[in-house]
Amino acid sequence: MSGISYSEILKLVAPEMLVSLAALAVLAIDLLVMREAPQRYRFWTGAAFAGLGCGLAIAWLLAMNPPPHSMSAGLSLLQGTYADDVLVRLVKVALLVMTLFTLAISMESNFTDHIGEYLALILLATVGMMFLVSSENLLMVFISLELTSLSLYILTAFNKRNVESAEAALKYFLFGGMSAAFTLFGLSLVYGLAGSIQFSEIYSKLHAAKIDTLLLAAIVMTVIGFGFKIAAVPFHLWAPDAYQGAPTPSAAFIASGSKVASFFIFAKLMMQAFAGAEGNGAWRHFTPGWLPVVATVAACSMLLGNLAAIVQGNVKRLLAYSAIAHAGYALLGLLSNSQQGMSSLIYYIVTYGLTVLGAFGVVAIVEERTGDASISSFAGLGRRQPLLGLCMMVFMLSLAGIPPLAGFFGKFYLFTAAIGAGKDMGMLWLVIFAIAMSAVSLYYYLQVLKQIYVVPAVEDSRPIVVPVSSRIILSLLALVVVVLGCAPELLLGRLITAIKLASHQ
Amino acid sequence: MHIPLEHYLIVSGILFSLGLLGVIMRRNLLVIYMCLELMLNAANLALVAMSRFNDNLNGQIMVFFIITVAAAEVSVGLALIVALYRKRQTAHVEDLTTMKN
Repeated sequence: MSGISYSEILKLVAPEMLVSLAALAVLAIDLLVMREAPQRYRFWTGAAFAGLGCGLAIAWLLAMNPPPHSMSAGLSLLQGTYADDVLVRLVKVALLVMTLFTLAISMESNFTDHIGEYLALILLATVGMMFLVSSENLLMVFISLELTSLSLYILTAFNKRNVESAEAALKYFLFGGMSAAFTLFGLSLVYGLAGSIQFSEIYSKLHAAKIDTLLLAAIVMTVIGFGFKIAAVPFHLWAPDAYQGAPTPSAAFIASGSKVASFFIFAKLMMQAFAGAEGNGAWRHFTPGWLPVVATVAACSMLLGNLAAIVQGNVKRLLAYSAIAHAGYALLGLLSNSQQGMSSLIYYIVTYGLTVLGAFGVVAIVEERTGDASISSFAGLGRRQPLLGLCMMVFMLSLAGIPPLAGFFGKFYLFTAAIGAGKDMGMLWLVIFAIAMSAVSLYYYLQVLKQIYVVPAVEDSRPIVVPVSSRIILSLLALVVVVLGCAPELLLGRLITAIKLASHQ
Repeated sequence: MHIPLEHYLIVSGILFSLGLLGVIMRRNLLVIYMCLELMLNAANLALVAMSRFNDNLNGQIMVFFIITVAAAEVSVGLALIVALYRKRQTAHVEDLTTMKN
C-alpha cells in the first residue's frame, strides 16, 4: 500500500468531494448567515448552493474522461475500493439529477425550520449513494449503505410537527437496522468463505466452489439485507409507513435515489462476486444458488405489491405498494444475469425513479393545498389545476407501463432480457406472471386518474394555485418521462456501451 | 488450546439469532435497539474469527469500521426515540399504530 498519492485520490473522488463540500457549505451558510432571514429566502439560498454542488459534480463526471481500467489509478491505488468507469459515472449522474429534482420539489413545502440541516442531509445521502455505486469492496458497500440509510432515517423524521413522521422514521430505522445486521452477517460469511473483501477476489475464490450450507446462508442473508433496502416482499413492511409518514420530498428521495443505488450495487454484487453461485431458477429445475432465492422474492413482491395497492386510500401508501411491485419487476433484470439484463435494469430503475419523483412532486403540492394525501383529495384536480392533472396522468400511466411512456419500454426491455436468459426460456414463468400482474396494476393507477378527471371536485374547491417554479419542474419531469419513452436509445444506448466497456476491462 | 473456527461461528450464529428473536419479540424500543446491537456484534465476532483463520486483517479492519457505524446508528436511533417520546409519551412498539390505510 505504499506510495498512495493523496492528490490522485482526491482527484478520483472529486464529484463526491464537491457534493460533501456543498453539504458543509449549505449548513454553514444557513446557520451563520441566514439565521434571521425569512424561510423562503433561506431555502432558496441553501438550495442554490446545494444545486451548485450537484451541478459541478455532474459537470465533472461528464467532462473528465474516465481512466481506462487497466491503468486506472484508482484501481491500483485503492485496490478496488473505489471503482470508476463509464457505467458508474452514468449511474452517478442519474443519482445527482434525482437529487436536484428532490431539492426542487422540496422548495414549496414548509414542514421544517431546519432548512440547512435538511439540505445537508439530502446531500450527504447522495454522497453515500455515490460511494455505494462506486464500491467493489464489502467494507465500502457496508459503510456507504449506512451513510445513505442513516441520512434517510433522519430525513424521514424531519417533520417534527407531525406524529406520523417520527413513527415512520422509527419503523424505517428498526427495519433498516435489522437489514444492516443481516447484510453484515451475510457479508462476514462471504468474507470467511472467500478470504477477501473484494468482489473480484471473492469471484475467483467462489466461482468454482460447491454450494454448501454456509455459502447458501451467506447468499440468503445478503439477499435479505438488500431486499429490505429495495423493499421487496417479505422485507417490505417498512415501506408503506415510511412513505406515508415521511415528508413527501423525503419519501420521493427514498423512492428514487436510494432505490437506484441499492439496485445497482445489489446487481453488481450478485453478478460479479457471486457469479458461479447462481444456481437455477427455471420452473421445476430449481437448483440452489441466488437465482431461485431472488426469483421467489420477485414473484412475492409483484403479487403482494400489486394486490395490496388496490385497497389503499392514501396516494403515498399506494405509491409505496406500487414501489414494492416495481421492485419485483426490476428484479427480473437481475434474474436474467446478463449484460442485457443489467442495462435494462438500470434503464428501468432510473426511469422509475424519475417518474416517481414527479408523482411525489404532484402529491406534495396536493397535500400542501388540501391537507392530506388521500385519493379523494385528488378529486377534480384535472379542472382545478389542469397542468398538474396532466403531469400526474403521464406519471401514473408510465408507472402502469402504457406506451409510449418510459415505463412501458423499461418493462419491455426487462421482460425481453428475462425471457432470453438461461436455457430454454427458464424464466418464462416469471415473465408471464409479471405481465399478468402489471395488468392488475393498471386498475389502481387508473383509480387515481379517475379521481383526477372523472370525479367532480368537492363544492368549495377553488383552482389550486401552483407557483411557476413547481410547474416548470413537474412539466420537465413529465417531459423526461415522455422523451425517454419515445427515444429510449438516449439512455439505453449509452448504458449498453458503458456495460460493454466495463466488462472488457 | 486450539479452538476451531466452527465454534466461533456457532456462538456468533447463536448471538445473531438471539438478537433477531429479541427484535421480533420485545416490546420496548430501547430493548429492541440493544438486540439490534447484539446482531451487529454477532457479525463482528464472526468477522474477527474468520479474519484469524483466513490469516489476513481485512476482517478486523471491518470490525473497527462497524463499531463506529454502530455508534452512529445508535445516536440516530436514540434521537428518533426522543422525537417520538416528545410527541407521544411512549417507547413501546404497540403504540406505533397511527398509520392505517
